Amino acid sequence: MEVRPILSAMARNKVGAILVAVQMAVTLAILCNALFIIQQRLALSERPSGTDEANIFAISNQWVGHPENLPSLVQTDLTLLRSLPGVVDAYVTNSYPLTNSGWGDGADLKPDQKTSTAHMARYFADEHSINTLGLKLIAGRNFTAAEIGEKNVRDSPLPVALIVTRALANELFPAGNALGQSIYTSGNKTQPAPIIGIVDRLQVPWVADVSWAKDWTENSVLEPARFVMKESYYLVRTQPGQLQSVMRESQQQLFQAHGARVLDKVEPLSDARREIYRDDRGLAVILAVVCAVLLAITAFGIVGLTSYWVAQRRRQIGIRRALGATRANIVRYFQTENLMIAAAGATAGVALAVAVNLWMVSSFEMQRLHSIYAIVGAVVVLLLGQAAVLWPALRAASIPPALATRSA
Amino acid sequence: MSGYYLALALRSLKRNVVLTTLMIAAIGVGIGASMTTLTVFRAMSADPIPQKSSQLFVPQIDNWGPIDHLGQSDDKLEDQIDYIDAMAFMNAHAAPHQAASYAVTFALTPADTQLKPFKAEGRATYTDFFSMFDVPFQYGGPWSAADDQGRVPVVVISHELNEKLFAGANSVGRTINLDNEDYRVIGVMRHWEPMPRFYDLTNDPFSKSAQVFLPFTRAIDRQMASWGNTNCSKRADSGWDGLLRSNCIWIQYWVELPDAAAADGYRRWLNNYALEQTRSGRFQWPAYTKLRDVRAWLRYQHVVSNEASILVLVSFSFLFVCLLNAMGLMLAKFMGRAADIGVRRALGANRREILMQCLIEAGVVGLAGGLLGLALTGLGLLGLRSLLSKEALELTHLDLPGVGIALVLAVSAAVIAGLYPTWRAAQVQPAWQLKAQ
Amino acid sequence: MLKMTHLSKVYRTEVVETYALRDFSIHVRAAEFVAVTGPSGSGKTTFLTIAGLLEEFSGGAFELDGVDVHGMNDNARSRLRNEKIGFIFQAFNLIPDLNVADNVEVPLRYRGFGAAERRRRITQSLERVGLAARAKHYPAELSGGQQQRVAIARALAGSPRLLLADEPTGNLDTQMARGVMELLEELHRDGATIVMVTHDPELAVRAQREVHIVDGQVVDLAIQPRLVGGQRAQL
Repeated sequence: MEVRPILSAMARNKVGAILVAVQMAVTLAILCNALFIIQQRLALSERPSGTDEANIFAISNQWVGHPENLPSLVQTDLTLLRSLPGVVDAYVTNSYPLTNSGWGDGADLKPDQKTSTAHMARYFADEHSINTLGLKLIAGRNFTAAEIGEKNVRDSPLPVALIVTRALANELFPAGNALGQSIYTSGNKTQPAPIIGIVDRLQVPWVADVSWAKDWTENSVLEPARFVMKESYYLVRTQPGQLQSVMRESQQQLFQAHGARVLDKVEPLSDARREIYRDDRGLAVILAVVCAVLLAITAFGIVGLTSYWVAQRRRQIGIRRALGATRANIVRYFQTENLMIAAAGATAGVALAVAVNLWMVSSFEMQRLHSIYAIVGAVVVLLLGQAAVLWPALRAASIPPALATRSA
Repeated sequence: MSGYYLALALRSLKRNVVLTTLMIAAIGVGIGASMTTLTVFRAMSADPIPQKSSQLFVPQIDNWGPIDHLGQSDDKLEDQIDYIDAMAFMNAHAAPHQAASYAVTFALTPADTQLKPFKAEGRATYTDFFSMFDVPFQYGGPWSAADDQGRVPVVVISHELNEKLFAGANSVGRTINLDNEDYRVIGVMRHWEPMPRFYDLTNDPFSKSAQVFLPFTRAIDRQMASWGNTNCSKRADSGWDGLLRSNCIWIQYWVELPDAAAADGYRRWLNNYALEQTRSGRFQWPAYTKLRDVRAWLRYQHVVSNEASILVLVSFSFLFVCLLNAMGLMLAKFMGRAADIGVRRALGANRREILMQCLIEAGVVGLAGGLLGLALTGLGLLGLRSLLSKEALELTHLDLPGVGIALVLAVSAAVIAGLYPTWRAAQVQPAWQLKAQ
Repeated sequence: MLKMTHLSKVYRTEVVETYALRDFSIHVRAAEFVAVTGPSGSGKTTFLTIAGLLEEFSGGAFELDGVDVHGMNDNARSRLRNEKIGFIFQAFNLIPDLNVADNVEVPLRYRGFGAAERRRRITQSLERVGLAARAKHYPAELSGGQQQRVAIARALAGSPRLLLADEPTGNLDTQMARGVMELLEELHRDGATIVMVTHDPELAVRAQREVHIVDGQVVDLAIQPRLVGGQRAQL
């Protein structure tokens, strides 16, 4: 490989080479960061909520007016829902995962703390919740019916027991002895509540990339209270394959039981997941399209410019062939030339990619780029260049050696 | 002469179709991508009420003291106020126009018993809200200040709700049933969807406005809970009264101040109020207040999503690559015509004329690329609409200034990309190229 | 060294068939200096192209340094050309982006010599043509005569068996031309085999013998009237 003469020749025709190198550098920088963002967003949207999403749907229930006998209305609803064919279990609550809307709270170990030991999402629950959500109890026990209080407009009773997620337990009690310990919640300084059970996972509702909860998305607490409020959610778990039919049936039955209500939204958790991560998935798709088009454009640019150089150096190529270069030698000449430009472009590109990433880290609260992306990106760009230069190089190789003897 | 150049440019572009297509495609794709993201970005960062944005302000007051909490803004102030401060502000009348408000939700039972009750989003506010935000009315008007004080059950309804319930007719004087209570319609709005919904940025700032507006005092009287964010720094006493007495923040507050002097005056009043709270012992920390106008408020609340900003960056870098591409192709094109240029120079064309010819050619490519770019922008916006959340729909319209920007951007980009190739072409010596190389 | 027997070269288009060379025979022995002359369009350039393995021929036989080149593929011809032949072109054909030394190096690279061997040969051949001091200069900085001498150095660097020169002084003024011809004669005296194509009769006489081509065939000069300036003239 005749690296030095090629470099020397390029140095006398810098502009074209610089054009291609800069193009490859910027392409690489965009590619690396785009791939990284795509991976991040997809990973974000695939985090499990901890629940049996495929078989759970939520009904948002809003009473018309302020019915007097709300607790018995809710109880009737729950009994009705639980007895429907195809239903595994149901309960009433204030919020559920994958909605970006819920109740947040701080957990304290001591009554007089200035800042909370941990932050968490508050889910009102009863003894049916674990079964409805399909949560995995890894320590302790479920609530008993006697422990379930009532959260209504007038009262906010203090919980007598709590079930927390493993992540929350570990954050509060790193030694691993959370079970049985008591914590203070809801700014209450008088009566701590004991942790009677730990579940494996339950995500908080706020799962967006840059939400206030991004550092504690696995911290949730189940509070034993029937959520008897004007607006609430019924969460229903069905047998596999029965979701759609139960969704229809449950709405009909609820209206029959008590017509003065609004069931504003009835959605399976899988729909909630799709909606909440729509922008993330959308961004990933857009960036993927941009990357593909970018690579195509850069490739065509290389093809165009290299063809131009081949045309400019027709005579020179003929001379080389006359002097004994084989077709393969000519192809290799252009491939080497391209490789050197690409190497320069890739080096600059990696530096640019890292710089762009660092800037995005500070401006958009993104993560640092892993070096694997830079490596993959550089390899892709180098291969792209070599593939793109192949056609013009083959064209160059077919320039006849007899060209050298033709008069100028 | 430029007509001649134009004819030359067109002929030259036709001669090498492949090269020309690649050039136009490069510019078109780059413009298409950039304009698509720029459209969304412009819509997101647009001033939603340009005629008054510097006269509408949000007062902020530190009613929690120096505690750290999550989701805190950069200056540690909250974006809402508590009930005590809201009432104090309203009663003080320190601004010529002012309105406290919060979001509520209703179960609306239509008169037509065939229709099931449905959820209506509402806003509890004061009558000044409508004049402050230039809310347009189709029928009737806002309620009076007396209605404000009297906790009267009147409502202003949205255009969409009027269409749904009354088929768009003049429904002033008729009643609607909200949670088993009758409210008299006193005004019907025209379509009003400021983007972003700057007066209440909780939840999604690009989602729809409320359908029902009612007096704040009425909502408080009926103990209507907030359907927005309620944040408390310490545990509130239970019940509605407990909430009103607490330092939980859940109310948005806006004032209208006609000029800078009025704004300064209000700032001073606000700070004095906070000082008074400290003096009286209600606050155990120094006074800390701020006053921001609409644009400052939108910036402070980071309304433009990260995604939009990232996409704008990516697409403009993409445009840059496309430009480099176009530059390379133009270099190939112009220099490939070196013989032609040499002949023209030998026949008397000077450098400037070669420059003009090449630049006009670049300009034509830019224009064609711009038109292609516009078509691609339309496609891109369509694609965005299907990919992003429903709320983003309002953001994906290409307006006339946008079209102008696209074309200007395309032509200037092409000309800039063509500068170096043009310069090289103009350097071609007349004599050299006559001797065939 | 170079033996062509009944060689023919046909250019075929859709409409017409042209014989550039027809029943052409020539035998150049080692250490001969042969001039090939003829009017423009006579086929002498075609002869040179085929002799230099730059093109294929249509019929007949061609032996180069004992090797029958019939049916050789492109790679084999390139290799043979690289090893056995040194070209000297009318237009010098130096590569403008490379300096003198790198220009001379080009055929050596394709030969596969190691770096030390290449350096040795470059220095040697540049000294042979008297341009060792200009090794780092670029062609644009040299006079026509100097450029041609660099081209000759390039042709010599690989120790070729045969030097093929195509109008070597065609682009040079009289003084430079004289210098180049003297160099060629010197090389011949040192044992080189040279075939020089030229239309200039004054140059042709400096060779050992002359082969005259008209319309693609060798003709006996004694029989044909001499052609001056492309027009027949009675002498």
